Amino acid sequence: MVAMVKKTTLGRFSSRLLGWRMWIQTAFLLLWLDPLGWRMHTMCSPVFHCYACPLATFACPIGIIAQFSALHIFPFVAIGLLVALGAVFGSLVCGWVCPFGYLQDLAAKVPTPKFDLPKFTGHFRYVMLIGTVLAIPYFFGEGHPLFVCRICPAGALEAAVPTMVSQASAGEKVVWPNALKLTILIVFLIAIFFIKRPWCRVLCPLGAIFSLFNRVSAFFLRLDSEACTQCEQCHTLCEYGIEPEKTPNDLRCIRCLECTRCSPDALTLGSVFEPSRTNAQPSAD
Amino acid sequence: MDSRKNRKIKALAFCVLVLLGVVLLIYGAFFHSTIVSAQRQGEATVLAKSEPNLIKEVSVGGVTRDDSGKIKQTYEVGEEAPKACPT
Repeated sequence: MVAMVKKTTLGRFSSRLLGWRMWIQTAFLLLWLDPLGWRMHTMCSPVFHCYACPLATFACPIGIIAQFSALHIFPFVAIGLLVALGAVFGSLVCGWVCPFGYLQDLAAKVPTPKFDLPKFTGHFRYVMLIGTVLAIPYFFGEGHPLFVCRICPAGALEAAVPTMVSQASAGEKVVWPNALKLTILIVFLIAIFFIKRPWCRVLCPLGAIFSLFNRVSAFFLRLDSEACTQCEQCHTLCEYGIEPEKTPNDLRCIRCLECTRCSPDALTLGSVFEPSRTNAQPSAD
Repeated sequence: MDSRKNRKIKALAFCVLVLLGVVLLIYGAFFHSTIVSAQRQGEATVLAKSEPNLIKEVSVGGVTRDDSGKIKQTYEVGEEAPKACPT
């Protein structure tokens, strides 16, 4: 018989919020889609949403970091925003706020067979970040075919496709994106129906940045080792192949908080500012 | 004891990172600017662009870095900036 553990106020609040995750993602989507026509491209958003999209309120931080890298200028605004938000939320941004993640969540609802990815594929995100966002732009400029914006599926889907549609509807010559970008877009559009959040898990450079904060962010996953019965229910609840009772703040975690539904209540959302329960391990990983 | 120490370290790391992020953000948004070479009616001129301005410019391919390392505006002063991202 498992003793139910009393959750903290934050833990109870996050449990209630969990049923509303999709609605919260929808609300943020409206914010990123520029419903009031603000077009505030002098400021970055903390999410993966292409600034060339006709419906983009803010600039994409990854695009800005890459472009500034090509100019050899330090992007104080983009880095400052990501460091401040990463320190507070870590990957909660990916799981609850990012529109590109939301798109993949919606596609994953289509009842198709789902395949898992090997753990090591998560490291490709750092290769992508260091290679296509920092090194290639810095050494070869924004004209290089592997410059992140030239291969980004978000840019292809949110900017190139709407532009092509508007060109076609206006009777103008349609300018196609390059073959590599188009191939990546097609592969991405197929993959989202068979793999949960393939972009976020394998290639997203923004997710790579936020994941670095998972172990030090103000909000984190707290494991109560005494409440944990090793039932491995959290393994089933986690859709991203993580074992939350072993590494609750894993770098690959997008903090969807689904694992906090486990019945012994051993996993909860914790914060550095609330008193920890006696058995809790805020940094067990 | 270890757990309490861990919590203190995490709280300290959080405070340092948030402070660092906010300082970078404020510096970039209000104090950082870059010298950009431009053309005004065929003559060379220089402009100091604030970082928010530069963010907007790079998102449409309005500035580029030439072989000599100079940051150049891709359109003449007074002309309209490009409308679309070059990538």
